[in-house]
Amino acid sequence: MACISEQHRLSCAVGGIYTVLAIEKFLPILHTGPGCEVNAAGALTIVNGAQTPITYIDTSLPCTDFCEEDIVFGGNERLRKLVDEALKYFKADLAIIVDGCAAEIVGDDIGEVAESFEDADIPTLHASLPGFKGNNLWGHSQILSAIIDQYLQPSSEKIKGLANVFGIVPYYDTFWETTLERLEELLSRLGLTPNIIYGIGKGKAAIDKIPQAEFNLVIGPWLDLDIAKKLENKFGAPYFHYPVLPTGASETSDFIRAIVEYAGLDKANAESYIAAREKRFFHKLQRLSNTLIGGIMYPKRFVINASAGAAVSIARFLIRDAGLIPHRIYIPEDVPEEHQARIEQLIREPVYDTKDIIDYDIKFTDDGGLCESEIKNEDFSLLHVNIFGTTWDELLAKNKGLPYVAISPPSGDYFVVGKTFFGYDGGLEFIRDLQNDSIRKFLGSGAVANVE
Amino acid sequence: MAVNLASTDVPSRERRLGSITGYCGTLKELANDGCKKCLKNRRRDFQTSSNCAHTHCINQLAGLDGTLVVDHAPIGCAGAQICFTSVKSRVPAPPGALEHARVISTGLTESDTIFGGLEKLRETARLAFERHHPREIYIATSCVSAIIGEDIDSVCRELSDELGIPVELAAAEGLKSKIWASGFDAYCHAVSRARLVDPGDKKATINFIGFSNIGRQYVEPIMAKLGLELICLTATATVEDFERASHSVATWGQCGAQSSYLASALEVKCGVKYFQTHLPYGGIGFERFMRDLGGYIGKEELALKIVEDEKAKYAKTIEDAKKTLAGKTGFIALGASFAYEYARLLRELGVNVPHAVAYHYDPKLDNPNENEPVAAYADVVELGLDIDTSVNDGQSLETRQLIKKYKPDFIMTRGHGANCIASSFGVPSYNCEIGLLLMGYRGLAMLATTLADAISNNNLYRKIAKTYDAPYTEYYNGLPTHSFFREEA
Repeated sequence: MACISEQHRLSCAVGGIYTVLAIEKFLPILHTGPGCEVNAAGALTIVNGAQTPITYIDTSLPCTDFCEEDIVFGGNERLRKLVDEALKYFKADLAIIVDGCAAEIVGDDIGEVAESFEDADIPTLHASLPGFKGNNLWGHSQILSAIIDQYLQPSSEKIKGLANVFGIVPYYDTFWETTLERLEELLSRLGLTPNIIYGIGKGKAAIDKIPQAEFNLVIGPWLDLDIAKKLENKFGAPYFHYPVLPTGASETSDFIRAIVEYAGLDKANAESYIAAREKRFFHKLQRLSNTLIGGIMYPKRFVINASAGAAVSIARFLIRDAGLIPHRIYIPEDVPEEHQARIEQLIREPVYDTKDIIDYDIKFTDDGGLCESEIKNEDFSLLHVNIFGTTWDELLAKNKGLPYVAISPPSGDYFVVGKTFFGYDGGLEFIRDLQNDSIRKFLGSGAVANVE
Repeated sequence: MAVNLASTDVPSRERRLGSITGYCGTLKELANDGCKKCLKNRRRDFQTSSNCAHTHCINQLAGLDGTLVVDHAPIGCAGAQICFTSVKSRVPAPPGALEHARVISTGLTESDTIFGGLEKLRETARLAFERHHPREIYIATSCVSAIIGEDIDSVCRELSDELGIPVELAAAEGLKSKIWASGFDAYCHAVSRARLVDPGDKKATINFIGFSNIGRQYVEPIMAKLGLELICLTATATVEDFERASHSVATWGQCGAQSSYLASALEVKCGVKYFQTHLPYGGIGFERFMRDLGGYIGKEELALKIVEDEKAKYAKTIEDAKKTLAGKTGFIALGASFAYEYARLLRELGVNVPHAVAYHYDPKLDNPNENEPVAAYADVVELGLDIDTSVNDGQSLETRQLIKKYKPDFIMTRGHGANCIASSFGVPSYNCEIGLLLMGYRGLAMLATTLADAISNNNLYRKIAKTYDAPYTEYYNGLPTHSFFREEA
């Protein structure tokens, strides 16, 4: 980890509670400082698509509000009392007690407290989430691990075609809700029975089905691979890792073919769907051709400063379908080293005409400000670039007069309701966002305005 | 306890002022008990997540011009800082004029909790300085750095010598206080030590302390008529603004929570008069404030003429809006000062206030002059203002019971989630403005007209409430209000 980190894209491990909050009627109970939840919320909800959780309002979560006096007297008994009351007040199917830095350092034992609720009406689990051990992605993994290790039981029955879907971290992925809705729709159309655990109408029933799945689908470059391996060990279900959440025609078609092949689904059905959707996709772009080809149009080069998942999805789409080329790629997601070479390969893989001539860097970091510090003084007045990243990068783009699209958390306080860059339509959505910002930034030489 | 700028530390509001986060009763009792120094805090057996003093210190510091905050904390403690700087992308400033707030984390890890993080702190500060070349650095402490007990003050002095700029400690550990406004004090204390200068000749300037200088264009002409130039000690304030502010004749603040410590420091260190008691909101508040200020600078008659002119300018607008508001009930959930400021404002507009929740209550502030009461007490004494009230630090499930009980026509709030609760009952929320925008008759007119519109079509909330399935048990729903308070021995 570098000694300098700014423009924070991640929250601390306590942000893992948003994974709990994405599962309907799963209640997090916090043994943390009074403000840990709010600090986690900033980059995951409020300024990340202006999201509010689905069952429990995140400002209403039971919390010991751990302060100095608890260090002196110990927090375990206060926590026990809190859990006792919370289980009486909240309608919930499952509760997870989590703690933060202070409780961990002073040695409070949330596992012991959770066990004392063994006879409660609902399962009461525990997960340690101290911020000094990891970020919200680590916290997310801790939460799913707690559910698997402490709650799920092996099932003797596997349901043919049932696939658990992992790889998308709810709330953190700004577009998670719509992405999962569309992914569910697509997988169902292909003949699978996707089991998605996050979002409205899923909840405990979906969680309980996890051990019955025929396989686990992990979609995205690295997140939830640990979970899929854990599930494989515990329940014997294999996992299919597809490392790209597809955006646009080529990527989506590739994904469809891969999942159809893996799961032994109806190829003819898939091919006819692909043909129709690809035709529609390029038809819609062709209808923009008066501007898209020769009008005021976005620059060809792009800088990405985003999560690994977004960087891979957007870079591959732009290179393969939109005719753009990478300029620099930053991935300030603190990606574990073991995954970095594979992610780099995914970005470098797609072919374009000048691939062997124009070189560019891909940097893995936990410093969101690295990108700005390196390109702030670069002169883009002759040859423009696009900047794709988070709302942190929006100001950089504005200051340099460059087009910008939010692709990664925190994406800003703009409403994202109904929005995703997933799939065929997701590619069109991206092109629309890009062009619409470009025409705000570039007037062109025909502008009838005094711009002095 | 008056402000002590010789120390690097600032005790929490609970310890310094006797401030509380648990109370239910009437405003009159609350204010009187506070004044008689016999106010007791009530603790809870059940509570929900509140907010963070640490984050409220670093967001204020990082908002200043030319500065940089090194957050000596796990990386996530600065995770919400985007909330306080994202708007800069939309400010209509020329390209290049604005930069994001600079908060750089040391990223304390598990091994740092065992082996210490001071070397990392030095390295981070050096790299941050190299990257941004700030005019000053603040090093903020955190829960983790406090528990492992590091001597950060010495590192500040070392780094200041090494880098040749002020490096000031901000004692901002979140676990020090349940009152997030204690983080404002940590900000005020650090910035006072770093930026206030020794008093010299008084200049014809007046200081406003608050979050933001938005609305200054409406207030500057008023102050100019009194011969005073406005200095805003808010986000974007420069080192020079603070130096000039040290020579001002007077200071007022947006509220007692955010502004009082810095205003008191200006009075203690620089002899700048702090107007604490009468905040300039609504017609009543504005007149009292202008009378105090005008009297102090020997221009009372002129000040009252300005009040009359402003009153006349907005009278019709306010009267028209009052027709829509007459007899309505508005529930309040706001910070320590604004809960009761808005209670007075709503009364001025003919709205009934069945209950006000204040997120904490300060029985006194840091002003060394003990004869200057807090604003809520002044309203009780001078205006006979009295309402049912409670104090909770953003305790949503307590506030929920109160909204359910009082069934208001609307709620007045700002952040902290009460709006989500209200919407689940089909009750619309009004997002309250504070600071310069709310000042005087213009502020009252803005409030009256936008509030009248806010309650003019409730179809959205009514329909949301119909489909919303509240996740609370019958047992909770049957509890009386304020049932989370612990029985004290």
